[in-house]
Amino acid sequence: MLTFTLKRLGLAVLVALTVSFISFILLFLAGDPAAALAGETASGEDIEAISRLYGFDRPMLVQYGDWLFSALRGDFGESYYFRLPVASLIFERLGVTMTLGVCGISFALLTAVPLGVAAAIRPNSLIDRVALFLSVAGQAMPSFWFGLILIVLFAITLGWLPPSGASSPMHFIMPTIVLGYYAMPAIMRLTRAGMLDVLSSDYIRTARAKGAPEGRVLFRHALRNAIIPVVSLAAVQMGFMLGGSIVVESIFALHGAGYLAWESIARNDLPTVQALILVFSMFYIVFTFLADVLNAWLDPRMRSS
Amino acid sequence: MKTSWLKSGIASVALVAATGAAWAEKANDTLRVAFTKELENVDSFFNSSREGVVLQRAIWDGLIYRDPVTNEYKGNLATSWEWIDDTTLELKLREGVTFHNGAPFSADDVVYTVNFVSKEENGVKTQRNVNWMESAEKVDDYTVRIHLKEKFPAAIEFLSGPVSMYPAEYYAEVGPSGMGLEPVGTGPYKVVSVVPGQHFVLEKNENYHDSPKGQPEISNVDIRTIPDVNTQMAELFSGSLDLIWQVPADQAEKLATMDQFTVMNESTMRVGYLNMDAAGRSGDTPVTDLRVRRAINHAINREELVNALLKGKSRVVSTPCFPSQFGCVEEAAKSYEYDPEKAKALLAEAGYPDGFTIDFYAYRDREYAEAIMSYLNAVGIDTDFKFLQYSALREQNMKGEVPLAFLTWGSFSINDASAMVSQFFKHGSLDDARDDQVLEYLNTADSSTDPDTRIENYAKAIERITDQAFWAPMFSYNTNYVFTNDVEYTPTADEVLRFTTMSWN
Amino acid sequence: MVDTSTTDSLLREITGPTPGQMLRKRVFGHQGLLFGGIVLAILLFIAIFAPLLAPHDPYAQSLMTRMQPPVFLGGDWEHPLGTDHLGRDYLSRLIYGARVSLMIGAVAALISGVIGTAMGVAAGYFGGRVDMVVTFLINVRLAMPVVLVALAVVAILGGSLQVVIVVLGLLLWDRFAVVMRASTLQVRGREYVAAARAIGASTPRVILSEIMPNIANNLIVVVTLEMAHAILLEAALSFLGLGVQPPTPSWGLMVSEGKNMMLFEPWMVLIPGAVLFLLVLAINLMGDGLRDVTAPENRS
Repeated sequence: MLTFTLKRLGLAVLVALTVSFISFILLFLAGDPAAALAGETASGEDIEAISRLYGFDRPMLVQYGDWLFSALRGDFGESYYFRLPVASLIFERLGVTMTLGVCGISFALLTAVPLGVAAAIRPNSLIDRVALFLSVAGQAMPSFWFGLILIVLFAITLGWLPPSGASSPMHFIMPTIVLGYYAMPAIMRLTRAGMLDVLSSDYIRTARAKGAPEGRVLFRHALRNAIIPVVSLAAVQMGFMLGGSIVVESIFALHGAGYLAWESIARNDLPTVQALILVFSMFYIVFTFLADVLNAWLDPRMRSS
Repeated sequence: MKTSWLKSGIASVALVAATGAAWAEKANDTLRVAFTKELENVDSFFNSSREGVVLQRAIWDGLIYRDPVTNEYKGNLATSWEWIDDTTLELKLREGVTFHNGAPFSADDVVYTVNFVSKEENGVKTQRNVNWMESAEKVDDYTVRIHLKEKFPAAIEFLSGPVSMYPAEYYAEVGPSGMGLEPVGTGPYKVVSVVPGQHFVLEKNENYHDSPKGQPEISNVDIRTIPDVNTQMAELFSGSLDLIWQVPADQAEKLATMDQFTVMNESTMRVGYLNMDAAGRSGDTPVTDLRVRRAINHAINREELVNALLKGKSRVVSTPCFPSQFGCVEEAAKSYEYDPEKAKALLAEAGYPDGFTIDFYAYRDREYAEAIMSYLNAVGIDTDFKFLQYSALREQNMKGEVPLAFLTWGSFSINDASAMVSQFFKHGSLDDARDDQVLEYLNTADSSTDPDTRIENYAKAIERITDQAFWAPMFSYNTNYVFTNDVEYTPTADEVLRFTTMSWN
Repeated sequence: MVDTSTTDSLLREITGPTPGQMLRKRVFGHQGLLFGGIVLAILLFIAIFAPLLAPHDPYAQSLMTRMQPPVFLGGDWEHPLGTDHLGRDYLSRLIYGARVSLMIGAVAALISGVIGTAMGVAAGYFGGRVDMVVTFLINVRLAMPVVLVALAVVAILGGSLQVVIVVLGLLLWDRFAVVMRASTLQVRGREYVAAARAIGASTPRVILSEIMPNIANNLIVVVTLEMAHAILLEAALSFLGLGVQPPTPSWGLMVSEGKNMMLFEPWMVLIPGAVLFLLVLAINLMGDGLRDVTAPENRS
């Protein structure tokens, strides 16, 4: 177990380093930011001086190393736009994004798992069809469009929910539904398939034959086994979701990290964009690492593969 | 099914709007306003956006004040002023004024502020606003002299506009970024909290001096950044906003039909124009050819843009400045009528019978940009559209990488042509024309104290600029202000929200 | 190299021949395949014959007749679905928009399919170091936030149809690689592969004539999934203003443009969103149907 964890940790660190390198290069290619920093009356020499001052004239690898070491200390530089430390800008806005992510994944799990189980218990029933319909529709639903429709329906037509912002729990209801619905189909399908798989297996049949109560069979034996891959998928989806919250945050005017990312891209605020790519990647890497370790602990077969 | 859905959507808008007004925050004496753009820094010397101007006028005061209706100059932090010579202005300061943090206002604050902002290395964002000042000198506690670099007749106008007075001790300690997070001024509103770019809370300054701005009436102002007009309207309907502005004409027309809202239209000094890289800084693009630039001028139907898209108090503009500005002589400008055939002929003459493809940049009003693009496409100019935020486009423009762009300029509401023509045609990094003749005219005009000489030279510059078609000036903007019936406000023609002139009905 | 359970779960989601599929086939499979196929065929027809079907030039601007309502909301038949904010015919733009969506979906899926399949098959066939490298690359790719990276790259390079297609193509290969790697691993050990090797067939030959035909069914399923994925992503990028640029008619862009008048003219948002939903739904249903029909245990 320890060996597995260490190996998996090594992989996570390597992946993180590679991602950081890629995101650095990507934005390095965007060009020399010295002109922007120099201001509107700067001459060619001024720009060169600034370039030297900030070290933009050094070799790329040196700049990368520098950036990485600062990043490890939590220093992502200064935002070109706000002239404030990137780390504090992101930290300030991460709360909204994290809240949204946790609510979103919870919503997805709380709807997808029961639906998946119900669909597996009674295949071909009405509930199976409804579940299937919801999952097929969810996969095809453009989230920005879904969000806009919810705003018209619940904020304008019915007046039940506030249309934008993040100042109360009510404000998170619509964004949660939109973001959660994005992850729901995959989780539901996997739960359903896993349950069907387990339910037809020998040991469930044995348990039933021994006369164990049906509820106990379903939840103590079947779901426990079927849920293992769902945990991994939920971790993956959570990582995807935080990255995907850009769309949702922009529609509901939530000032979170995703919204900051979108604005920063349009503003050419490279230090902020670089840091955000890294932060979102780190979430994915940490979640999947934890899920893998948890899985290995639950299911010893995983460790050997 | 779909039809009823659609119809219910429309009907419901009116329904909710009817109930929404009841929730307005009049009871709490809090006016809730939306900003569209994330403001980079509240420190007014370190941003270049309209939102920044609005906050600047609320938080700080200038030495002088220009009445937005009568255009008369009145003393604000200064009580009187006098030219000692062509480049020295002496001002008597108002006594008994205190900053929001309790520090008394005196000559030291003026000296510190002027000396700080006028130094180029301190990086004030719009240098033109401050770089005409050399330094300031204290004569006694309530008398200062401002020394100019050279003659600058628009000095009074600038002192009543973008140049605000900051508390010396505090500013020296916290600097621009500290000032942006916890602003301190003498103005009618104090800052309670700032979440950078997102949320600004102001509260009435009970000790506001006897300023020509008037005393604030509304106790609290709560400003949130909501980037999308559509979302702003949804908030207005649901009763969680009281006032929105910069509402596009289409939506304003619809809102005007609803009884719960007041829609007011005012003209602004903002001029929309196409900037063309005549000097070829971005490479040897077709717009370096005069015939192509003239063709572009002829290709655009300005009347139609104004009548169908901008509406309201907008008008066609043929000058590289706003016509009400001093020195913005309309008769001097060569105007180009809409004539797509002529445009095509000019393009053919320039060697582009089948047109060409060019990068076309814009940063706001996507819809207008698209309409302009469509006119260009119609005469054979294909466009690669690049829509950036202002800061990013400005940066590219400074690097000289923008062949053709739809830009706008609001002149910081300064009623003098120098705030626009001289901002862009004096070989700065945003100047894509780099014309020596224009530079010469502008240098003469900017530094003369004789009004006739100024007008004559601005006219020459305008004639040269429009004849050479360095720009394609198109139209002036208007702004729609929409507020609930609880709010009483008369907007002014300078695109500045003034909280001091707002009250509850 | 550790074969992580996260990539494994992605894989199970797609390939795992579970009894559930047998059931789904009965419940939904063929109906779905039929429905998806018909809708997709119609949209494909519309896209190909757009110039013949569109009543107007989708780029022709007429500022004096802006935002006319569709026929069913009181408009006239000159513009059956009304006009947009620049007075362009909505139906014509919708028809040309089908071209944009399908082209982006198809080409992006082709690019990512080639990259992903090459990586996956190589990893599965050669194993060892190759497998280690490929698995690592898949993990790196999965860790990068797709929307954010795509937005950033498009912003740097400038939005255009070509750029969006290439960026999506270069980003969406992960699922191809995961699935093709696992499928190849399954097939590699089979007798016919060993037999081909024994008679001295070259490696490319074994891969092309023995491995590929036997993993093609999984490939087709991933192609449909990724096509749908690419179409949705393009729409989202365009909606955010950093995808396909105007005046190109893209459904995502149309939603974004219509959004400004959403509270007053909801049809401007509902119509393009609905056709986008329909297209993606059709592709997904076809993919599901194909998976059910071609799943190995169903062939006997």
